[in-house]
Parts: sequence; structure tokens; C-alpha cells
Amino acid sequence: MRKLLLAAVCAAALLGAPSARAQAWSLESAAAPLKGTQVNVTFLDRPGYRAIIKLLPDFEKRTGIKVNYEIVPYENSREKQVLNFTAKGDLTVALVDLVWIGEFAENGWIVPADKFIKDTAIADPALKMDGFFPLLLNAFGSWGGTVYGLPFDNYSGLLYYNACMLKSAGFDKPPATWDELAHVYAPKLTDKSKNQYGYVLQSLRGETQSADSFMRMLWPFGGSLLDKSFHSNLKSTGSQTGLKFRQDLMQYMPPGDVSLDHAEAVNAFAQGQVALMTEWSAFYATVTDPKTSKVVDCLQIAPEPAGPAGRLPALGGFSLAVAAQAPEKEQKAGWLFIQWATSEAIAKEYVQAGGVSGRKAVYDLPEIKAQYKFVEPMVASWQAGVPEFRPRFPSWPAISEVVAEWGSKMQLGQVTVEQGSDEIGKRMEAILQKDGYYDGKKALLQ
Amino acid sequence: MLTLFLVGIYPTLFALVTSFRQYSLVRVRDGFPFVGLSNYASVLQDGSFWGALGTSAKFFLTVMPVELVLGLGIALLLHRPGYGFLRAMARVSLVVPMAATYAVVGLLGRLIFNREFGVANQFASWLGVGPLDWLGSPAGSFAAIVIMDVWQWTPFCALIFLSGLSMVPVEVEEAAKLETTRPLSVLRHVQLPYLLPGLTAMLILRSADVLKLFDMVFTMTRGGPGTATEVISILVQRVGFRVFDMGTASAQAILLLIFTIVLSRLYIRYLYREIT
Repeated sequence: MRKLLLAAVCAAALLGAPSARAQAWSLESAAAPLKGTQVNVTFLDRPGYRAIIKLLPDFEKRTGIKVNYEIVPYENSREKQVLNFTAKGDLTVALVDLVWIGEFAENGWIVPADKFIKDTAIADPALKMDGFFPLLLNAFGSWGGTVYGLPFDNYSGLLYYNACMLKSAGFDKPPATWDELAHVYAPKLTDKSKNQYGYVLQSLRGETQSADSFMRMLWPFGGSLLDKSFHSNLKSTGSQTGLKFRQDLMQYMPPGDVSLDHAEAVNAFAQGQVALMTEWSAFYATVTDPKTSKVVDCLQIAPEPAGPAGRLPALGGFSLAVAAQAPEKEQKAGWLFIQWATSEAIAKEYVQAGGVSGRKAVYDLPEIKAQYKFVEPMVASWQAGVPEFRPRFPSWPAISEVVAEWGSKMQLGQVTVEQGSDEIGKRMEAILQKDGYYDGKKALLQ
Repeated sequence: MLTLFLVGIYPTLFALVTSFRQYSLVRVRDGFPFVGLSNYASVLQDGSFWGALGTSAKFFLTVMPVELVLGLGIALLLHRPGYGFLRAMARVSLVVPMAATYAVVGLLGRLIFNREFGVANQFASWLGVGPLDWLGSPAGSFAAIVIMDVWQWTPFCALIFLSGLSMVPVEVEEAAKLETTRPLSVLRHVQLPYLLPGLTAMLILRSADVLKLFDMVFTMTRGGPGTATEVISILVQRVGFRVFDMGTASAQAILLLIFTIVLSRLYIRYLYREIT
């Protein structure tokens, strides 16, 4: 009987342990030994970062940890971080675009999250890794099956549409497919004499061209950049159909579309010049701000249109990971910051400040659903998607340069779709050959 | 001497040594082995390198004559006697474009040549032209970076020419003006010899400047659309700081240094004349 009682007490203690730990753990107590530590991180000038900056004073007050952030343009953010890592600089937290995760992880610049999750002193019992959208955790934070970063600034491609313009043209709902967009909606919504266009696609040379313009048109049409053996798949029927579709669609885009970056494409939509735009969820705050947008009352949002291969919208975003170069104490402080910034506890405040959280629970809140039109289409987009929408291996930055150059030449008509595909394929395979993907030295991970 | 070594010589030597290595910052684990001349061979066989160098040459050959002619015209106007206060104001205002940061000039250019609300199309509409698609077409974007460069560097040419004109002895210039009423003759036979040293310096400085022109073009067009404005420094930056292939980028930079030195020697040999 005594043995039974003892076993019952032990079982109760074991079962009760996590909840007791959950009750005992607090950010303040976890941070107490780290008080005065400085965390250095790179931020972008985008709504998600402005949102966390608004909330930072609370974190700093509760923990005594100082977060130093430097805001840099996206195009320079990788360069700045890579130089910092190779020079063993002062970055404590890495901002990891989903296409950099392979490069950062394979070079050992970021620390697997397990190290901190297993450290009971700093791991929040309410961390709930399964509370993130699996697609985001997989695509933004993981490489080769190991989690490195937690999803922080999360994007899905969405279809922004001007319901007033659609209504005037006789449509009471947005296009459900790309085919419908190009052949039914865009012709009726385009009136060049009034400087009014059906659709805008951000296509400036750089990552905007390679990721937002070129890759967007491959997956929904059954295409992809690479086949299973990592050779070019751009000459496949699906890829060619998608790229030719993009060329045909250009007649309904504003002149100079190939020179438009995100800000300019969003502005064309926000000024009522364009009726339909596929753009990241992160720009919702810009389009709904009356100071920057004339279409606030007409704005509606839907998931990106489906192609013959289904609805495979653009996927992008950033995770935060602890930098391996940082001393142990700063690493722990960095983890506390990451854990807090991506936590369920502040997800609501983060969204209300203009950010897009990667936590599932926040989008179930009725007030969030009611307040933000992008929530439902975005959550729908994150149910399924292609993690390798852009390959996430270390070779991507070099390949992205090639795609950006020849992708914009295609759009300009300087080369045909076939010629451009051949050039990209040839150059991309040379890069992959050099990087050891064809001699069996490297796993074919993307 | 130490400063010269730290700022000038050491980085150049480092680039030279790097150009003979396989030096990828994103594959540090592979080490930095010596690869002999293979980086140079790959650069010299790379069509993108020659294409970008050709774009830089086209850019230089377009902007330089315009800047020289406009600069000389402004210098001659400012050299004329009278309007003391206005002349002083004009001289000061010439410094303003040169003082502007390249990246800011590029950002200004992006606004000026915006198709919808840029002032360039406003001017064009007064002439009954447009709206022109400046940044969205290869020819338009090239013209746009040319215009911004001319705006920024014509004052430099004007000031150098003006300093050359002020070196002409007053009595010689007045005597020449008594001899002929043709200003071109005065310019050709009296003033030009004093302008040649400045012209040589301008050509050397602007050649080097065009070869390293980056910020303005990057902020304005990022080298696009296509490769319409991909000048050589944009390509070197892409190889060096996007691909992080420092070996190849260093080889490109060393080749550019050699081009600059050769060009400078040619300018000095064929243009520079001591005033006797």
C-alpha cells in the first residue's frame, strides 16, 4: 500500500511538474542573470519591424536586456549580416530570410533552436512550437530537419483588389484563377486612355524580379525552377506556360512595370491606378493607411488566384535565429528576445501594431478576424504551400542574380521566353555544378 | 606614410592576393586555396564582364562630352567681367550638386523620372511629349542616369575650367581680344593651353569615377531593366557582395585598376601640355 501511495505521489509530481514549472517560469526571472546584456539585431524598414520596435520598451523594461537594432534596406541586409558573421562581428540575433536559411545553417552561423529549448532556465514553457503554422516553421526556420529560427515577419502572397473598380466593370467578386484574371477581368479593367490598368506585378531587377515576379508564375502553372535531380526545369511545359502567361499579362500592367519595386507597385494600387495586385500580406498596413492610400474604402483581399496546378501562392518571410558567433550570455539573451518577439503572448499586440504573426491562435480571435481583412485569405494560403517556392539552398543568391537579369530581359522582350529559359538554365546549372550538387557531395536539399 | 599604407596600399595588395585565390565568403569551410590565374581567366571569358565594361564605356563617352561642353560654356560665362555678386553666387551654387551624396542623387533620380508624378515627365509634357517611360525602358533608364550624372558633374568641369581661365595672364587675354573679335580664336589660341592641364585632370578623375560609379545607379535602377544600366561597378558589387565570390570580384577590380592606369597614361601622353 505504501509502495502504491509512493508511486501515486511520484506520478502526481511528474504530471504536475510541467505546470508547476510553467507557473514558476517568468520572463523576468529568466532574464535576471542576463540583466544589462546587449542584443544586436538587423531590422528592415517594414511594418513588422516597426511593430516590434513599438513593443520593445516593454521587453527591455521587464528583462533589463537592451536590444540594439539597425534598420537596413532589404537589398543590403544579407550582405551586412554575412560580412558580420565572417568577421566574427557583434550580431547576436540573425534575421533570416527564408532563402538564406540553407546558407546560414550550412555555414554554422546560426545555432539550432534545440540548444535553447532544452535549457529550462530560459525556455518558456509556453513556447508551443506547434502553435506556429507548420508551413512557416518549416520554410522560414528549418533546414535539413533542424529548427534554427522562429517565424517572425511572415508573408503570404495575397490578391489585393479594388472592389469599387471591379464593381464598375461589372464584377462582384475577385478572379478565382489566373486564367480568369488575365482573360476576363484584366481586359475590362484596363483603360489606357484613363491611365488605368488591370493588374500590377512588382518586377524590379533584383530579388523582386526573381522572387516576386518570375517564381510567382512558375508554381501555379505546374512549373518549377529545378527538377528532382537539380537540373533546370524551366523548359518544362508547366514552366513555359507560366512564363508565357506572364508575358501575355504584361499588356494589362502599367508601363514600366519591369522597373517597379514593391513600394511603387503598392503605390500604383493605393492611388487607384491599378485594380488588382498580388503582393505580400506585410503591405496591408500601407494600403489601409489613409495617409498613403486613396482606396481604403474599396480595398478587399483574397487569396492569390489558382493556376492549373492549384493555388500555390508566393511564400516569403523571415525568422529570427541566435547567431553562433555571440558569447554564451548574449546567445541566451538573444533567445529570450526571439522567444518573446514570436510568442503567442504578444501576438495580438504585434498584429495590432502592424506586424503579421506566425502564430495560429491569434488569427482565431474574433476581434482580429473582424479588424484585419487579410487574415482569412492569408490563413487559407498558409494551409498549403511550397516551402521551396524559392530554393532555400546556399546557391540561391547567385542563381537569383541570373534569374533577375534574364527574367527582366524576357519581360522587356530582349530575349524570348525560350531563350531566357535556356540562358538561366545553363548559368544556373554551372553554379550548381560549382557548388557540388552534381557530384554527389551535397544532399539535394532546397 | 603609415596612413597611405593602411588606406591605399594594404587594401590594394590584399585585393591583389585575393584575386589569385578561391575566396568565397559563403564557403569559408572550403578554405582560400591559391588558384593561380584562373579567376582572371574566368573574368576575361565572361560576357557579362565585357558587357558591363562596354556599358561603362558608353556611359563615359556619352556624359563626358556633354559635361565638358556645358562646363566650358558655364566657365566662359562666369569668366566674363561684371555681375560680381551674381557671379559669386553662381560659383557657390555650382558646388551644391557635387556635394550631394551619390545615393541621394540616385533616389532623387528615381523620383524625378517616375512615370506618374516625376518632374521629368512634367517638363516633357510642356514640350508636348510623353509621358515617357524613363525607368521602365532600357534607353530611358540609360538616359536617366546620364542626365543625373551630367547634373552632378558639369559643375565640377565648370569650376576646373574656370580655374584654368583665371590662370591666363590678363594682359595676354586683353591683347588677344584687341587682335581679333572672334571669341573662338581667343579660346583656341590663348585660353586652351591653360585649360589642357585641367582637362587632363578631369578626364583622369572622371574615368576613375565612372569605373567606380555605383551608388547612384544602384539606387536608381539596380543596373536594370535587363542590363541596360549595368555599369562595371554594379557587376563587381553583385559578384563580390551578392555571390560573395571575392576572388573573382578582386580579379575584376584589379583589371579595372589596370585599365584606369593605362587610360591615365594615355591622357597624359596625348593631352597634357606644360604651359611654356
